[in-house]
Amino acid sequence: MSTAEPLLEVKDLTIEFSTRRGLFEAVKGVSFYVNKGETLAIVGESGSGKSVSALSLTRLLPEPPARYKTGSILWKGEDVLKMNYERLRSIRGGQMAYIFQEPSTSLNPVFTIRNQIAEAIQLHRPEVKDIDKEVIRWLEIVGIVNPAQRMGDYPHQLSGGMQQRAMIAMALSCKPDLLVADEPTTALDVTIQAQIMDQLRELKAQFHMSIILITHNFGIIGGLAERVAVMFRGKIVEHGTTAEVLRNPQHPYTRALIDCIPKPGVRVRRLATINHDALAE
Amino acid sequence: MFSDIAKERFKRFRAIKRAWFAFIILSGAFVLSLFSGEIASDHPLILSYKGHYYFPTLKFYPDATFGGEYRTEADYVAMRAPDSAFHKAGGWMLLPPIPNSPQHSYLDIAGNPPFPPSRDHWLGTDGSGRDILSRLIYGFRISMVFSLALTAVGTIVGIVVGAIQGYAGGKVDITSQRLIEVWSSLPSLYVVILLGAIYGQGFAMLLVVLSLFQWIGLSYYMRGEFFKLREQPYVLASRALGASHFRILFRQMLPNAMTPVITMLPFSVVAGISSLTALDFLGFGLPPPTPSWGELIDEGLQNLQAPWLAGSAIAALFITLMLATMIGEGIRDVLDPKSLTKLR
Repeated sequence: MSTAEPLLEVKDLTIEFSTRRGLFEAVKGVSFYVNKGETLAIVGESGSGKSVSALSLTRLLPEPPARYKTGSILWKGEDVLKMNYERLRSIRGGQMAYIFQEPSTSLNPVFTIRNQIAEAIQLHRPEVKDIDKEVIRWLEIVGIVNPAQRMGDYPHQLSGGMQQRAMIAMALSCKPDLLVADEPTTALDVTIQAQIMDQLRELKAQFHMSIILITHNFGIIGGLAERVAVMFRGKIVEHGTTAEVLRNPQHPYTRALIDCIPKPGVRVRRLATINHDALAE
Repeated sequence: MFSDIAKERFKRFRAIKRAWFAFIILSGAFVLSLFSGEIASDHPLILSYKGHYYFPTLKFYPDATFGGEYRTEADYVAMRAPDSAFHKAGGWMLLPPIPNSPQHSYLDIAGNPPFPPSRDHWLGTDGSGRDILSRLIYGFRISMVFSLALTAVGTIVGIVVGAIQGYAGGKVDITSQRLIEVWSSLPSLYVVILLGAIYGQGFAMLLVVLSLFQWIGLSYYMRGEFFKLREQPYVLASRALGASHFRILFRQMLPNAMTPVITMLPFSVVAGISSLTALDFLGFGLPPPTPSWGELIDEGLQNLQAPWLAGSAIAALFITLMLATMIGEGIRDVLDPKSLTKLR
């Protein structure tokens, strides 16, 4: 553990949902932290609670049905769960920005890319005078060719990869301290995935920001994440530096996830199934 | 300003000839009717008297100006007569295309009113000798202004209420929905009669009372739309950017929920005209001297021997409602997502 105070520290967070069939705990006593300039990967299968944890960081879950049962989310020492609505809004986007899985639906279909990025800038950086120039600058940074022309496009006129780049530009244009990338490449095909991950790596180095990368794919975290937390059924079952976890996974679930990464030249007959009952508790 | 989809839709609306022409005719007629005072009036447009020019449709001139002795408004109908003092003094006047005012009784014709159509009164006069064509034109203006205002108020309230219900959901939605159901079961006609009896009938009064009920239908549609839209990832993305509820509701979601609003607009105008005419016919609408179609139909009913009365009012009502409905059907076809596909 580092001696400096972490940027974000989640302590013993439990989130429960009230459903028709009673209460359901999606996240059970999870703790993790992110230091400045550091990338944490949270890896787990679908339903393991990783997206719920990510959304809870700025209280984006609809309440009800969600309820924060125990724990705290300390953002620069201040508990997010105790903030009022106005304070929360200034954190959202301005200090903690998100990119989501599905770029095609995360952009509003009736506005141009320019308008959507401009809106983000207007919300958190009222001091910016020449908004068009700023929009073009960010589109250029995320690697969109000919940004002055493309910014007049509607989301449906862009490819999936470009949509995700526009989303990243929108998130970064508010100059956040922490970028939460919730499955940023899941909806994209493999070559575009690699491009987007390269882009994130570059941006991280350029702006020295922290990233929480949420994914089910161990294959994409290498080279970006310093540390990795493995989530399984609402709990963090393994936590360590990326190199350590990849080299020497302790938990059988982690091992199973790592085995899912395709390796060139290796024929795998059948992937191992996880015996949930044996692993639970 | 307008998205490509909006432009494409406008192009397709223009391609539906019937709807496009109906739109041009109705909006043209409405714009013309705003100048009713210059189209149908017994006041001259321009009047020349002793070397000076006067514009009586725009300004008030007392009788004394033109050699009379009173300070009341000059009697332009009397001045029209070829042997009047005005003509003898060398004055001339340019009359509007329909030189009859809606509230003036023309009783200097042989016989008893209602008078049948003639050269002076193209559609005849009503039971009090008032020119029907002139009353139709003023009645059209009042019907259109009334129903457009009613539509505007109803649409705005319907959007706001439905949007908040759908967006908030949960207890807010269930409670308000039950209240709206109770409210909508109030018989609006009785409310109009009751409040009219207490506070007096009038344009503003009617507008307020009918507005109280007009928005309900649209709010149901908007509630459904916003229910659907609030689950969209871009709404979550917008929240994650720190946008306020207001901004999310009306900037992010509303533009995606305009289809029911636009589809219902023309039909709402139709409903507005119909209800105003119905109320006027029953005598609970605008107060008596106001030229209105409902009152004209009522008079036609009392004078069945004069078919030009009810006939012209019903024809005018029929044509207006048909044009508005054609526009509505055109818009509905254009916004129908099925028309985009090749599968029919």
